[in-house]
Amino acid sequence: MPSWQEFEPFIVSGLALGGVYALSGVGTVVLYQATGVVYLAFGAVGALGALIAWSLTNAGAPDWLAWLVCVLVSGAVTLAYGMVFGPPLARRDPLVKAVATLGLTLVLFGLMDLLWTTNGGQSRAITLPTDNGGFTIGQLQVTWTQVIGLGAGIAIVVVTTVFLRYTKLGTAMRAMANDREITATLGVPVRRVEAAAWLGCGVIAGVAGLLLANLVALDATTLTFLVISSLAAALIARLRSIVGTFLAAMAIGLIHDLLTPIQSLSSYRDMTPFVLAAVALLVFSRHRVISLSREEA
Amino acid sequence: MLDTASRTAAGGQRSPLRRPDRRTLAQLAVITGLLLFAFFATPQLFSLYYIDAMTQVAVYSVVALGLGVLVGRVGMVSLGQVAVLTIGAWVAARLLFATTQPYPLVLLEAGVITMVLGTLIGLPALRLRGLYLALITLMLAGALAVVLTTTNFPNGGHGFLGYDASTVHIAAIRRPAIAESDPAYYRYAVVVAALMFLLVLIHIRTRPGRAWAAIRQSEPAALAAGINTTLYKLWAFALASFITGVAGGVLAGAVHYLYSITFPTQESITLLAAVLMGGAYSMWGAIVAALLLQLLPALLNNWGVSADWLTILFGIGVLQVLTTAPRGLADQVPKDLSRLGRLLLGLRRRPAPSGSDPA
Amino acid sequence: MRMRQNARGARAAAALVAVIGTLIAAGCGSNGSSGTTSAGGTSNAGTVSTSQCGTKPGVKATGTPIPLGGIVTNQPGTSFTDIANMANAYFTCVNNNGGINGHPIKYYIQTEQTNPAQVAAVAKQLVQTDHVVGIVGNTSIIECSVNHSYWEKLGFFVVDSGIAPECYSTPNSAAVNMGPRYSSDGAVQYALSQHVSKIVFDQSNVPGTGYIAAGPAALAAAAHVPIVQLTENVPISDANSVAIKEVNDAGPNGAVILNFTPPEALVILQAAQKLGLEDNVKLWGCSTPCNTDFLAKALGPKWNNKLFVNAELTPPDSTNTPAMRLYKAILAKYGKAVSGGIGSFSQMGFAEAEIMVHALRSVKGAYTVASVNAALKAVSNFDTGMLCEGWTYGGFPMHIPNNVDYTVTPKDGKMVVAKGCTPVSSVDPQIAAYRKAAGTG
Repeated sequence: MPSWQEFEPFIVSGLALGGVYALSGVGTVVLYQATGVVYLAFGAVGALGALIAWSLTNAGAPDWLAWLVCVLVSGAVTLAYGMVFGPPLARRDPLVKAVATLGLTLVLFGLMDLLWTTNGGQSRAITLPTDNGGFTIGQLQVTWTQVIGLGAGIAIVVVTTVFLRYTKLGTAMRAMANDREITATLGVPVRRVEAAAWLGCGVIAGVAGLLLANLVALDATTLTFLVISSLAAALIARLRSIVGTFLAAMAIGLIHDLLTPIQSLSSYRDMTPFVLAAVALLVFSRHRVISLSREEA
Repeated sequence: MLDTASRTAAGGQRSPLRRPDRRTLAQLAVITGLLLFAFFATPQLFSLYYIDAMTQVAVYSVVALGLGVLVGRVGMVSLGQVAVLTIGAWVAARLLFATTQPYPLVLLEAGVITMVLGTLIGLPALRLRGLYLALITLMLAGALAVVLTTTNFPNGGHGFLGYDASTVHIAAIRRPAIAESDPAYYRYAVVVAALMFLLVLIHIRTRPGRAWAAIRQSEPAALAAGINTTLYKLWAFALASFITGVAGGVLAGAVHYLYSITFPTQESITLLAAVLMGGAYSMWGAIVAALLLQLLPALLNNWGVSADWLTILFGIGVLQVLTTAPRGLADQVPKDLSRLGRLLLGLRRRPAPSGSDPA
Repeated sequence: MRMRQNARGARAAAALVAVIGTLIAAGCGSNGSSGTTSAGGTSNAGTVSTSQCGTKPGVKATGTPIPLGGIVTNQPGTSFTDIANMANAYFTCVNNNGGINGHPIKYYIQTEQTNPAQVAAVAKQLVQTDHVVGIVGNTSIIECSVNHSYWEKLGFFVVDSGIAPECYSTPNSAAVNMGPRYSSDGAVQYALSQHVSKIVFDQSNVPGTGYIAAGPAALAAAAHVPIVQLTENVPISDANSVAIKEVNDAGPNGAVILNFTPPEALVILQAAQKLGLEDNVKLWGCSTPCNTDFLAKALGPKWNNKLFVNAELTPPDSTNTPAMRLYKAILAKYGKAVSGGIGSFSQMGFAEAEIMVHALRSVKGAYTVASVNAALKAVSNFDTGMLCEGWTYGGFPMHIPNNVDYTVTPKDGKMVVAKGCTPVSSVDPQIAAYRKAAGTG
């Protein structure tokens, strides 16, 4: 069993990894709270924005413009998807809506690999000005970008929770996610509220995409399928609590990195999110609930 | 009680003991014709490149069939069927290296062991519904994929895992003595696939099929009708796992060498997309799905078209199927064709086209 | 009615947004590099005429084509098409300057996505449908393993850029590169020569890790230096923990040797730098994939004389031989499809094409599978201009013809030579076996 000193640096890196999972996981749950759709294309949309930002920076555009375009494109793509595919699927099972976002993921993934081909030996990177400089904890340096990544996760959690609970628009979103028909009959401008929800989530995806491209890698495959791991955090929170997703993500990141120095488990540590999610789901479903099934999938 | 439920829920299904009518006979003729064509004519007509692709089609049609049973018949979406396939391939490879058992026995054992594992894993997951079930299968598949990257597939080594990490000469997984060459193995795969399809067909036409239809319609109503929903859902899992395990065994012999990187978790998503496009409800849909997954990429590769276009196609296909044609291409195309036929007939009867033609 | 109009309007707006988005993406989409390496290279490239690749300058070959084939991996995250495309560029040059005795070469490139069934199928496509008489340029994670029996049965002697163990351990495959095991040997050898007290060898978890690890293990054992063997699943999603683990295991007087593709190695090294850990070990090493100017530029000055990269091929920036000038000229004129520009990938493609053309020129009579492959087998001590020593195929049971390497280090955005041609140590049993079989031991 490794000593405490060997574990220490992994706590810091674990928290950083938790921040990464949180950024990705919270985004998927936020949209679920607002529209009833588990947005599995969250990673792909963010990756698309990040790649466009990279192309713009490469072509000589100023950084701030590239980031702005990234966020706008992510928002636009998400909004377009929500407007075109939201209404026809609105009455279907949440499963169907989630699988539909998988369709969007595949389209974006294929598009990204076509347009930004894999070069033989080169990789792309997004550098942020906060990469240089930071502070030291123990023997490790923590960059400002990692702090921002964690901070962004917290900010998203706080802002969206407050927004959804206390503002009129937020309440309308939650009502719509629950039952679109009844909310419409209550006089809520359903189309506009929906559009706001999708656009908001798309913007979050763009911001997260930029940060994740810097913190993890600017690689379409990695960023797109990072959702699968961060979905574990959302599942532990049963897709219901944004705060719960955040805390679960931090826990997953910590445990994942703390397993690194343990020789016998180290090569299995990538299993952490999946095992934790599976266990949590099975524990939570101990009491069987027969709910009135909606229309067929 | 079960009969009432089956009559109302299963619609126009008849007991298999009635004399088959003209439509069933026609279908049987088509199926027999296709099987004969696949068995005899295909190896003569196509180059080895496409024979290899068709062998993969045979394998994945069984996998798609398993997923189709789960999704189309019972209404359970599993995002982990590729992981089940790797279990079957792993077991078959281990047995083929460690023993000299005949191939059919190895396939059977692979199927049974995969069935047991699949059912064990499915048992606790059965309490989950819809979205949660799909996501937990994805999580379990992800966990298995990580385990596989560390344990790897057997390659002729010793020990339980049968993996020799430092060999300079990896051993090839053997094939049955009667099917050593590629065309012969293709025929072998077609026969095995046909048997698996027959097994599923028998299930669908008898009691499990009716119970599944009832559960898919409404689980509370099925429960109220006295159907043991847990048993039948587990049965579906077991059947899907069994045939996928057998397919894994056939895959092992087809490729000779197995690598964990060939089966990333994303593959399960593409598999689901293909099954949805082909049509989860019909057995023809499984074949269409397999053609999309294995023959189309081979064609595109030959024509120099990037595989990315296929990924995009699958994404669009999923969106289209879910929003417009829930029963998939296999159901939609005959409908579209018959509509086209009616349209043409209508045009012939009325030579001057009028603006109010039907369809 | 108004609701439907609103819906239609919203849908149209959304569609318009989607179209605009796609247009932006298409316009901004770039399959180019980050601009570091261009095909231009040094100033000497322009003065060399590419016609030197052929025997009849300026004369286009118009006879019956000689069909050749190549299989390369091309999937998201891993692409070796540059190697085949460079070989194709060389063949095009030859075709434009007399061909092979007036015959042009027709090169069929097959790409695969690491699917064993597909890899086997494309080999059959090349042989049975395209009727190729020679196989050159193969670069694939699994092709040698899957197809070597097929090539042996048909009598093809493949010239490839090896990755899998069978590329080096079977009679019908000879590589121009050293591959992950022997290149890692070279990197470890350099670290041992700097008297480190511990070695940490970390590699990507792709097929063959045990085979690759056996080389460094043997070297470390012979030098009585402890070695820690690690593997990482790629693509790496958490580089921080990887870097911390490596540094902790190596200790202040140890060395961390990496065997990854350039993007993954870069991610680990950058994580180490961001964490402030790069000076916590004595030195860092990397197998040959790291040998690109792109990496040198991306890493920055902190890694000068800190990172030592094994180089299987002659460094292009500091060599001015006729062969190197020809390579750069062909790359400039015919190598538009080579996205990585000057670097080890295109160098390998060039060398392999050279060897194939050299063999073809020695064929008398018809160009058949038998005659072409007999000529390939007979290639002996051929100077490609890209390697330390001459290249030999021969009739040996195994082939490691490139077993002498350089060590380079990043400096001012380029990779410069730190140590010249050094043979890989015979402590590695496979190297010893090859040298004995080839009679060079």
